[in-house]
Amino acid sequence: MDTQLLLSGVIFGLSIGSIFFLLAIGLSLCFGLMRIISLDQLLYYSVGAYITYTIHVVTGNTWLGVFGGMVAAGLVSFGVERFVFLRIYERDIAFTMITSFGILFAGVGAIKYIWGLIPRPVPVPIDAQVVILGTGVPVYRLIVIGISLLVYLGIWLFLNRTITGKAIRAGIEDVEHVEGLGVNVYKLFTMTFILAGILSGLAGGLHSSLIMVDPQMGLEVLAFVFMVVIIGGLGSIKGTLASAFIVGQVVSLGSLIYAPLAQMAPFAVMLVILLIKPTGLYGSRLLKR
Amino acid sequence: MMKIFRWWWGILLAFFLVAMVRVFLPLPFANEIIIFSIYTMGCSFLLGRVGFISFGQPAYLAVGAYGTAFYLYYFGTNPYIGILVGILAGLVVSAIVGAFFVRLRSDYFALVNLALAVIVFYMMEKVLAKITHGDNGLWFLANMSSTPVLDLGKPSHFFAFAFVVAMALWAFYKYLDDTIYGACCLATKTNEDKLRFLGYSNFRVRWMAFIIANATTALAGSLYAVYLGFVSPAITHPARAADPVVVTILGGVGTLYGPIVGAIAYTGMKDLLSGFITNWELFIGFVLVFIMLAGEKGIWGTLEPILKKAFFGKGTLARYQESGDKKR
Repeated sequence: MDTQLLLSGVIFGLSIGSIFFLLAIGLSLCFGLMRIISLDQLLYYSVGAYITYTIHVVTGNTWLGVFGGMVAAGLVSFGVERFVFLRIYERDIAFTMITSFGILFAGVGAIKYIWGLIPRPVPVPIDAQVVILGTGVPVYRLIVIGISLLVYLGIWLFLNRTITGKAIRAGIEDVEHVEGLGVNVYKLFTMTFILAGILSGLAGGLHSSLIMVDPQMGLEVLAFVFMVVIIGGLGSIKGTLASAFIVGQVVSLGSLIYAPLAQMAPFAVMLVILLIKPTGLYGSRLLKR
Repeated sequence: MMKIFRWWWGILLAFFLVAMVRVFLPLPFANEIIIFSIYTMGCSFLLGRVGFISFGQPAYLAVGAYGTAFYLYYFGTNPYIGILVGILAGLVVSAIVGAFFVRLRSDYFALVNLALAVIVFYMMEKVLAKITHGDNGLWFLANMSSTPVLDLGKPSHFFAFAFVVAMALWAFYKYLDDTIYGACCLATKTNEDKLRFLGYSNFRVRWMAFIIANATTALAGSLYAVYLGFVSPAITHPARAADPVVVTILGGVGTLYGPIVGAIAYTGMKDLLSGFITNWELFIGFVLVFIMLAGEKGIWGTLEPILKKAFFGKGTLARYQESGDKKR
């Protein structure tokens, strides 16, 4: 394998990993704080991508579309949180998983109804390439990687430097104690859920230029995102970043070696990691409600 | 007499319903319902009795289906032996895999199962493409020899066979619920520490439950294979991973007759709705969310008390529930 192929493979893996990271961070936060498995993040991802497509068609500006997608995803997640999740926070994890799957299913149906079944293309906003080590690398992919790192930094600052973030972190450790300190945890829950929804929308908007936008796109990445969350350890942000890039690289480099590996290898990695360390890379002790 | 009747009434009612389906609706629909309900029974047992939610049932379905398909395509011609091979494959695979999986917690369990389904899918589609013929699938309808009493090649005979199998399985699961083992399964769901305190091994109870449930799923897979005379990797496509879970919830979690009611409702909705509107997912999704918010009892869970009242009167119902509570 020559250097050029390898380098473009690595960049491809990093950009895919960035998308996975943006999606998985929401799931991870939701699990950590609220103890829910929110499969409907994949719906906000699709919503983000479709709004990006629509705004691009209307205005011709993809960046505006990505921003619009974030806003729309945030609004949809706010609605879902109000109407569904507020009633089921206290329930069992499997229960939330099934309910959120129902939301995802209904959402995919609604998307099919509104936008139809045909996959839609979204053009890449920046066509330029930079040359690194003699390899042409698309600038857009670098920007995607940069945005995900910025998001990581932002979330780290938010969780470690603001009082709300600290409350969220404390909530991940022990919700009841935080409630006992007089913090309105349901406000925290809503905030985290919307944050997760916005990040999923961002992921969808950024990913829409790299793939075709189609109604099943959420279900297609579902398995990968879950793998990322599990390998990293549910509820850990650092672990999510690390495992997102690992999975991205495994997908990208695996496909260079042998095409079917792209789909299968991450699952094999996940099985091995889970069998060695059932809590994932950075997962803390087994959390129980 | 009353006792025997009380033991059997649900099964008889459920199968009366299926027989009605057979009379009033076309045969393929009835066959699909009965296979789907066998498929769901394993998932329902895992979810309702042992508390494991599995998004990987298609993997075991495919193991059974491909076990049967390999036998009928490469080795023999007798569909009954093919079905036995499928069940055997399901037993072996779930015994090996289960030993690793049941150690994990419920949420991780769901996801490693999903991972297994994806692995099986790509193995069948790409890696083992030489044996499985990839996406083209294995066609072996012509290979099946006709058997004397029930000829599985004929859909009507197949229905009779599947009907008997499903009924036997229901009786088996109902029997299981009444045994100490069934109680252990419920105990490992609600309080594993106390079960350990009583001297049972959580691992063994769960492993056993996993094997039983997934052998049932494999049986459904081999029935699919024999019925269609054709197996392709689409049977384990990850997008269909949640089907059995959805049907289980739809019918009612942990109820014995939930799977069949759920299967009728789901297949019916799919067939009827896809005629009217192209996106039946929208509807199924809303129904699922609604059922979960309304108290996760499902269709059967809601109907059961009403039917019991109608059949046994009010006094019997109270006594029935009392004895049921004691059992739990």
